Amino acid sequence: MRERIEKALSKGNAEYLDIRIEDVTSSWINFRGEELDSIGSSKSLGGIVRALVKGGWGYSTFNDLSDLEVRVREACESAHMVGKEQTKFAKSEPAVDEIRSELVKDFREISLSEKLKTIKEYNDIILGYNEKIRTSNVGYSDRFRKIFYANSEEAYIEDERPNIFVYTSATARDGDNVQRGFESSGGSTGFQLVEGFHEKAEQAAKKAVELLSAPPIKGGKYTVIIDPKLAGVFAHEAFGHLSESDFVYENDRMKELMVLGKRFGSDILNIIDDGSFPGQLGTHKYDDEGTKTRSNYLIKDGILVGRLHSRETAAKMNEMPTGNARSVGYEFPPIVRMTNTYIDKGNSTFDDMIKDIKLGLYAINSIGGQTSMEMFTFSAACGYMIRDGKVAEMVRDVVLTGNVFDTLMNIDMISDTVVWSPGGPGGCGKGGQAPLRVGLGGPHVRVNNVIVGGRQ
Amino acid sequence: MIAKQLVEKAMKKAHGAQASLSLSESVDVSYESDRLKSAESSQRTDMSIRVIVDGKVGFSHTTDINDVDGVVSRALELAEFGSPAHYQFPSPKDGTDVNVYDRAILGITKDEMVTIGEEMIALVKEYKPEILLYAGASKSSRKGEFANSNGVEYADESTIFSASVYGEWIRGTDILSAGHGLGWRKRGIDHIEIARKAIELFKMAEKIARIKSGDMPVIFTPEGMYTLLLSLEMGFNGKNVYLGSSPLAGKLGEKIADEKLTIIDNPLIDYAPNSSKYDAEGVPHQITPLIEKGVAKNFLYDLDTAGRAGATTTGHGTGCGPTNIVIETGDTSYEGMLKNTKNGLLVHNVMGLGQGNPISGEFSVNVQLGYRIQNGEIIGRVKDVMLAGNTYDAIKDIVAIGDKAEWVGGSLLTPHIQIGRLSVVAQ
Repeated sequence: MRERIEKALSKGNAEYLDIRIEDVTSSWINFRGEELDSIGSSKSLGGIVRALVKGGWGYSTFNDLSDLEVRVREACESAHMVGKEQTKFAKSEPAVDEIRSELVKDFREISLSEKLKTIKEYNDIILGYNEKIRTSNVGYSDRFRKIFYANSEEAYIEDERPNIFVYTSATARDGDNVQRGFESSGGSTGFQLVEGFHEKAEQAAKKAVELLSAPPIKGGKYTVIIDPKLAGVFAHEAFGHLSESDFVYENDRMKELMVLGKRFGSDILNIIDDGSFPGQLGTHKYDDEGTKTRSNYLIKDGILVGRLHSRETAAKMNEMPTGNARSVGYEFPPIVRMTNTYIDKGNSTFDDMIKDIKLGLYAINSIGGQTSMEMFTFSAACGYMIRDGKVAEMVRDVVLTGNVFDTLMNIDMISDTVVWSPGGPGGCGKGGQAPLRVGLGGPHVRVNNVIVGGRQ
Repeated sequence: MIAKQLVEKAMKKAHGAQASLSLSESVDVSYESDRLKSAESSQRTDMSIRVIVDGKVGFSHTTDINDVDGVVSRALELAEFGSPAHYQFPSPKDGTDVNVYDRAILGITKDEMVTIGEEMIALVKEYKPEILLYAGASKSSRKGEFANSNGVEYADESTIFSASVYGEWIRGTDILSAGHGLGWRKRGIDHIEIARKAIELFKMAEKIARIKSGDMPVIFTPEGMYTLLLSLEMGFNGKNVYLGSSPLAGKLGEKIADEKLTIIDNPLIDYAPNSSKYDAEGVPHQITPLIEKGVAKNFLYDLDTAGRAGATTTGHGTGCGPTNIVIETGDTSYEGMLKNTKNGLLVHNVMGLGQGNPISGEFSVNVQLGYRIQNGEIIGRVKDVMLAGNTYDAIKDIVAIGDKAEWVGGSLLTPHIQIGRLSVVAQ
């Protein structure tokens, strides 16, 4: 493959050129209710050529690899049509490297019947939990992605990126009231990640049934303690996206808003993105344009100190590339993305955080979140009211919203242990590219004056 | 025909088979931060086969058109462990012709697409130069083949063209994003109209309006209707009905909504993005009423789910999801709706949709783009506002339905709809 790619690169006519070819094998198993809903496999091979000319990009994506040189020519022609300015593209040490996956239990060597048996056990646990359980959605997926990357600066990287997950969801129903509980696990280190999930499957069923008798939360403004799973999503939505430089680098007003040194939170707030953090969902040695990943402080002691870059955004802002140019697959060029984002630990205990809250909300486990840069939402799987300093009754339909310029300032306590969220089917979506695996972490975080949606 | 070859190959061991091949090509041009940023050409191959062996189903997919043997043998291997087949592949049945191909789209050059982007940006800039713009145009064409072991066999060709423009307007720490886009299988897209719609959204947002928490009437714009439709799409999905997770299960023939509401699934509208003569299982497409004058009429089924549920496929394979959703117009003008609202909200776009418990009908979302209505007039954009309610309650509380429908994204045709009371929580 290396020879073919390098030969094609040599035929290009651009200031910068790269080719990424991906060979992906995947398989999946899915139960809905008692019966197997689908079982299947997919093999895909495809690639993308990127060409940069006078600041303009040309891309060509393809499944047909028979004539790489034609694809290179297409991308170069597009780049020549687009480019009218001056190319700015930060230097990156051209790496030559081969990264082999390190699987504790290689899922490619596990028989389909064993995979099926494992997943069916989880499904049976959910369906047998009690009579309130109406149905289930239990899924398994594995994917082995091998990337071949080369650029016109003589970098050449082969990178194996396995991914596996299990997802157990239980649906409980009582008349028109339908509730769901779920648990998931996943990552890049092998089949063992999806084994022994029986207890979690049971928890999913238990949660669905419990939610049937939980009232919807009353809408309003609350002091909220978010648990570590939700804190990870909070860091990602509330601030992470705003630190992605492609939202900033050609936007003068945004540059003013996001000037380094500006205070966004109190002294206790630290937010970090680290693509080199071992064993997390967004961990890789190199990003998708060959830059080494690293740890990047975004907020340190409440102050904006850094942001996430590709080689292009770094050059245009006179900063260093940070290893955050990522792509979900060969159909897309890399764009600036988070890797593993977390709120760093503070020094409070959970007891300290809750004891003086008269009426508040303890929001637990994340369903997801969304941002429009300034405003954002994040959804908890469930919540418990806090009454007179104690965790009280369970509530459902807990969706919180915030505003980046207020909400981070309203964080007044952070607990002393960071927990990373387990893997699963989800990921981050941006520019039509989803789901991108990202690590999400955090401690317990207390935020004042959070708007929670709901009937009053 | 390659799809037929796949079926023939599979039938040496299988008792039934269905195969499809899709070859597509597209060209995209995009603008970022007011400037032409990139041009892209894409080529994509998808080939897949589903087999039934000893009553069990296996499926496999590949992007390599030469991998005929491989993809067939992997599907056969999987079938050994597959789910029980509750159906047979359909036999040939003639469908209704629908136009999904326009040669004119193929002829659009990159330069024309560059001009389309430029003109949309220029128009919005003319309104407010400080809005930073993102725009794009895209054309694509697809050739498909389908065959099954019961003699269904066809080839089809389709095209699609789309254009969009989005802007970001920053004033102080206020960041406003808005825009519009549309995809259509015919060249006819009017990009100037798209830019005008985007400008309209910005114009209404020039002022920021405060709003007090409370229950109030809410008008959903056609785009805003997704807020209510998500739960309904899940509720009418035959699989959710069969599994008992849909609150609509067992309610066909019952009145579930205000009698003003009629919703139809229509895959036979010429040039609509989700139109085609057959579904992905070779079943002729048909028009399926979901709600007629407030009464639940049909659920959506594919072959497999219909087989399990003892129903008949409605041509919604695979997955039991809708094609083009059409909500019938009513008799109230948009202006009339506004005029009748003393204090309320106009909702255009929300955040966090689906990240709660949508199947139950519950929604609790941030109003990313919405406007306060006071004494019959829009007085400005609202911020930091949560809107919450239950879709199944909301559709019983429809006050008015607009007399003009608009396409949203290309797969939803709906008028404005006004709901009597929903809960709003504000700062």
